Amino acid sequence: MDGSSTGIQEPLDLIRLSLSERVFVKLRGDREMTGILHAYDGHMNLILSDVEEKIMIVNEGEQATVSVAKRKMDMLFVRGDGVILVSPPSRT
Amino acid sequence: MASQVLPLELIDKCIGSRIWVVMKSEREFTGTLLGFDDFVNMVLEDVTEYEMTAQGTKKTKLGQTLLNGNNICMLIPGSDGPES
Amino acid sequence: MDDSPPPPPNDAPDTQTPPPPQQTSIHTGSPTDFLKGVVGKKVIVRLNSGVDYRGVLSCLDGYMNIALEQTEEHVEGNVTNRYGDAFIRGNNVLYISAAEAI
Repeated sequence: MDGSSTGIQEPLDLIRLSLSERVFVKLRGDREMTGILHAYDGHMNLILSDVEEKIMIVNEGEQATVSVAKRKMDMLFVRGDGVILVSPPSRT
Repeated sequence: MASQVLPLELIDKCIGSRIWVVMKSEREFTGTLLGFDDFVNMVLEDVTEYEMTAQGTKKTKLGQTLLNGNNICMLIPGSDGPES
Repeated sequence: MDDSPPPPPNDAPDTQTPPPPQQTSIHTGSPTDFLKGVVGKKVIVRLNSGVDYRGVLSCLDGYMNIALEQTEEHVEGNVTNRYGDAFIRGNNVLYISAAEAI
């Protein structure tokens, strides 16, 4: 029984349906990235290509400011235990 | 072998009663215990969440809630929490 | 004259057996039952970091991995992101709370 109109039966189906698509990944340590999903496993270890990573850097001080660092990587392995959230491209 | 009550048997007797849940971090919950499993994941009803921060305690009211057992530190049966 | 057969004795065991025990509710209150009841409903998923995800629960598994639809990310009361679909790794989950009647 699934409550979804898309016929996914377990959460990992969401990841399976995102293979070869650009996904958004939120990691521990305020890291966010998008990349093309090539492979995943049950730990949420991921292989991403054409990755753009966003790193939030909080500058402590009187007025704390947040600066964003970006960097690009061709091919990336993400260790699953750091993964918080994976979002497939919007279907709308 | 002395007869003994298993810890989770005690918690089983609390089903239907108010319970106070203290997490490993500065976070607590009170609610009516509806059920739990072997991991001590707990289903609570009429829940209040207390987040203790340097700015004070933030209270959040919740309906039926499944609380992950992973970060639970202590359970205090029959208590309605930090304010009682 | 009464032709009808005699009435059954009052202490007939068949009429005395109590009805089978009736469950007071479909939900026994266990985590599994809660999750069955909440799939397809609006939920609030709070992570250990304090970040909330509000959306419709598509499904979940034994690790508390969660698939959400129409998800809003809330940080300190403000919406910080929206996702059509979101997979949340279960180890980050603090609780799943029903945001509408089950």
